[in-house]
Amino acid sequence: VSESVVLILSHPVSQTPTCVYFELMWCHLCSPTVEAGTPVTGNDELDRNLAVVEKVAFSKGLSPEAISVLLEFAMSLRMGSSPCVRVLKCLIPASVVPQQAVVRAVVWLNVSKIPISTQVLFIKWVLTVSSFLCIFLISVHLYRVRKLLELQSKLGRQPFLMHLLSLYKVFCPELVTLSIPSRIRVCTHFVTFMPFYKPVSSSICEMVTKKHCHLDLPALSSVLNKEPQSEQTSRRKMVPLVHLSSFAQMLKDMHRIELPAQMGSLLGSSLALQYLDCVQEESALLRLNFWLGCALHEEFLFCRQTSEEALQFLNNLLSAQHFLQEGFSSSDAFLYKFLNVWDGSLLRPQILGLLSNIPVIPSTQIGRLLFEPLTQLFFTSSMFFKCGLMECLNNMLLKWLTWHSVYALEDDLDISLNSHTSINITLSGFKDSVMELVHFVGRLASLGLQLEGCNTLLLSFILDFYETVCDTFLKFGLPLVVMPPPGVFYPALLATDPVSVDRLAYIMHRYKLNLTSAKSQEKQTEQAFHISRHTFRQFNHYLVFMVNCLWNCRMFHANTDMHVREELLHKSNVPQYWTRFDFIHHPAFTGYAVDFHQKCWPGKKDVDVNSIKQSKPWSWYLEYLFNQGFDGLKDFVHSSISRQVTAGDKLQDSQCSL
Amino acid sequence: MDPLSESGMRTPHNGAVVQRRSKTRSYRQSYRSCLGTASRLGVTPALTARRLNASRRAAKPQNLADKVNPEHLALLVKAEWQLSYVTPLYQFRHTQLRSYSRQLAAFIVAEKQQGLAVEVSELHNSYRVSLSVVQGLTESEDDAETVLIQIHSKPMFARQDEPQRSVWSGWLTCVHGSPEYLRSLPKDFTCLPLFGSRGPEYLSRVVKSWFQKTFDCCFGSLEINHTSLQWFAALWTDCHSQSHIQHLRMLWTIPAAPPLQITYTVDPQDAWDLWNSVRKEATAAVTEDAASIDLEEVTGFLQALKSHFYRHFRLDLSAGTLQQVSTALGSAKSSGRIKMSNSRHVIATLTLLTECALLRMPI
Repeated sequence: VSESVVLILSHPVSQTPTCVYFELMWCHLCSPTVEAGTPVTGNDELDRNLAVVEKVAFSKGLSPEAISVLLEFAMSLRMGSSPCVRVLKCLIPASVVPQQAVVRAVVWLNVSKIPISTQVLFIKWVLTVSSFLCIFLISVHLYRVRKLLELQSKLGRQPFLMHLLSLYKVFCPELVTLSIPSRIRVCTHFVTFMPFYKPVSSSICEMVTKKHCHLDLPALSSVLNKEPQSEQTSRRKMVPLVHLSSFAQMLKDMHRIELPAQMGSLLGSSLALQYLDCVQEESALLRLNFWLGCALHEEFLFCRQTSEEALQFLNNLLSAQHFLQEGFSSSDAFLYKFLNVWDGSLLRPQILGLLSNIPVIPSTQIGRLLFEPLTQLFFTSSMFFKCGLMECLNNMLLKWLTWHSVYALEDDLDISLNSHTSINITLSGFKDSVMELVHFVGRLASLGLQLEGCNTLLLSFILDFYETVCDTFLKFGLPLVVMPPPGVFYPALLATDPVSVDRLAYIMHRYKLNLTSAKSQEKQTEQAFHISRHTFRQFNHYLVFMVNCLWNCRMFHANTDMHVREELLHKSNVPQYWTRFDFIHHPAFTGYAVDFHQKCWPGKKDVDVNSIKQSKPWSWYLEYLFNQGFDGLKDFVHSSISRQVTAGDKLQDSQCSL
Repeated sequence: MDPLSESGMRTPHNGAVVQRRSKTRSYRQSYRSCLGTASRLGVTPALTARRLNASRRAAKPQNLADKVNPEHLALLVKAEWQLSYVTPLYQFRHTQLRSYSRQLAAFIVAEKQQGLAVEVSELHNSYRVSLSVVQGLTESEDDAETVLIQIHSKPMFARQDEPQRSVWSGWLTCVHGSPEYLRSLPKDFTCLPLFGSRGPEYLSRVVKSWFQKTFDCCFGSLEINHTSLQWFAALWTDCHSQSHIQHLRMLWTIPAAPPLQITYTVDPQDAWDLWNSVRKEATAAVTEDAASIDLEEVTGFLQALKSHFYRHFRLDLSAGTLQQVSTALGSAKSSGRIKMSNSRHVIATLTLLTECALLRMPI
């Protein structure tokens, strides 16, 4: 059995299965069936097993279960004292060391006849891994501190002394203080005083060492100066946030949690952020914001060099904000300043990510704070920045709308952001801000499309935005409908790729649903909102043009937006120019028309797409188009166009009702 | 604290949407609005002038000798200080200064001997730190009391009986800080935004590090910007009638190739006359505000000085940057160094500097 297990162990497997097999193996060896006194020397099997254990220990570290089993095996001297030493020397923990295992080992220490040198080795091991222990309860007294300091002055810097004293510092910082250079951490202790630990690989070193840099999160440490009157009681009852490792643990000790000395250290821990978000303690959040604001200002705003750490820091911040589903006010304040000096390319994804998390800005200030710097950036930047900014503003709008739909009371028009601020955003104020944002994006989009020659990628991001906007009423419950500007509508309709036209059709369909729903609500309830006639007129205008263009072949018929003089149209020598953007001739769909023609009339050599215009082929063609995945077109046609078939088969004369 | 205030939940018997829970009170407690009060929002340098007080009371010379401990006062005026801004200190107690002194002393020693633990007690340390309160520097009840930090140590090859000498000193202060901002902070915080230090850079770093670890605050270097330097020039000149300023000296750097440095010294009487003429023009017929100085007067004063220079040397100083302003009352450098030479004008200087420091608060 053990041979097969060893084979499995020596096979490179991932961490978790290894632990399981470990237990199997050692349970086998530690079971009573292994007779006491089994020879050690010349025991190849034991040798091989130990070699495998050492290999795993030095590369990944041992799991808590493995440490328990191995420590039990070693300290009970089941196979003599030489395996004991060998095992002790490779007990490098991967995560934690169970307290129970250490307690049992200490019992064995007193009971079994372990040689003195091995006892010393064990004690050194305990002190060195003390930081890996789950809980370590000690009572710190001044005389103990003084004794250790005396020992330190005799022996010099010893890693195990340093460790014990640093533990004392955690519990009684007013008695002893100690600074550990940030580069020397646990792994070096293994290396320096136990020379056989040199093969410890760099992976463990990386695990415990942190590079020292400005953007480093402060190390987690407990509070130094507690209130004098509650010293004794509080220390016994409060659980420092530092010591929590799981959500269940946090829930258990929720009312006794003590925050660390430096709040900035919590930024990377989702558990801590969850606690903060739940408890909503103003001082704690303010401290975090102060630290965050300073870090951002000092590193970015005042011309420091950016580096890997800066990127890492911003990514951490972004994931924390993403986790909390809201931004930090200090990062908002920083962004408003940073946008004015940003070049648009430095750490672009991160900055745009942070920007999308800013909260609703009152409409009186949104221009100065947001629109002015963004306009400048938009028009002087590459197309990819334009796309990125569109996406960012879309996300921002989505977040604002989501915030509204979650937090706004239905019959309460006053939505206070915070009892401390002087801002009260009413529903109408919120609507104003959203409208400002949508109009702003409309302006940017129109001009951006002109600058970039109606680039398809940019158009796609813009249509993403309008997919959000068209559903503000039905999807998010905000009584507001804003139409896209002509500078977005026409390039989308006349685009050369079918996806854009399809998405525009979907958007128009959704607008129709929103408008009809709003109109019907207006008649029923008194408090319903009122959509201006201008909006209806604009929608109808677009709709009429779209249908005229795609269906009725009356593209240039009485359109106030697009004035093209007859002479120019004649000069272009395009035959029947009024049909050139219908479902058959539109540049986006002409390929499909040809394809359909070939499928419909496979025999015909000359392709005349106009023959599709007959009644029956037309229906088939539409069905064919919709089956290509153009659901937007399908919805649009079904909701906005009803066919009346006239006596003749020619579609040109068919009426179209809207 | 009850984070959730529930609104009633109705059974939707008529299909109406159920009322949602509202978190109106506590939603975004972290949202300490940077938009709430117009003065706190950080904006581009061009608008800084709007944030910095556009007008302030003329510096009243105050005889501090009877209010402030003369030793402390002497310490404040004799040296040039390097300035930093500090975010508010969390759970700082003016009553625990002795304990803080001990901790800081041990911390300094521990930092020096990395890896060797140090007992926190008064008896054994080679450094002696004293934190003390300097009372009398501030009159407003919103301001926290100034704290003075001094580090004494024996020099390297000292004799046994030689007393410890002061090797580093620093102070934390808040003089006439914006009451709006100070009152908006929760009670746990002590706002002492201005930090001045003098001594080896190493000790400054260690002291800052200790404060950061103990009170969860952040330090940043405080540069004195162009507008504030102009204010210093004007305020000090304004004091000429009470305390003779001896000269008004300004240091400009012009970005020529190679860079040109200009020291522009103005005779005190001339400066005084120019200042008065600028003030007379500016103030139309306002009598009750005669004691307050406006930003326009200050910029007018500087503009007059610059145009005078231009008339003589055909060099427009606006093209350069003002680096330093000094008079007999003190000197201010744009790198963030300040010297207050006359104890009667310490309050006015510290008021302006406190304002600059508060502007740098991240939220």
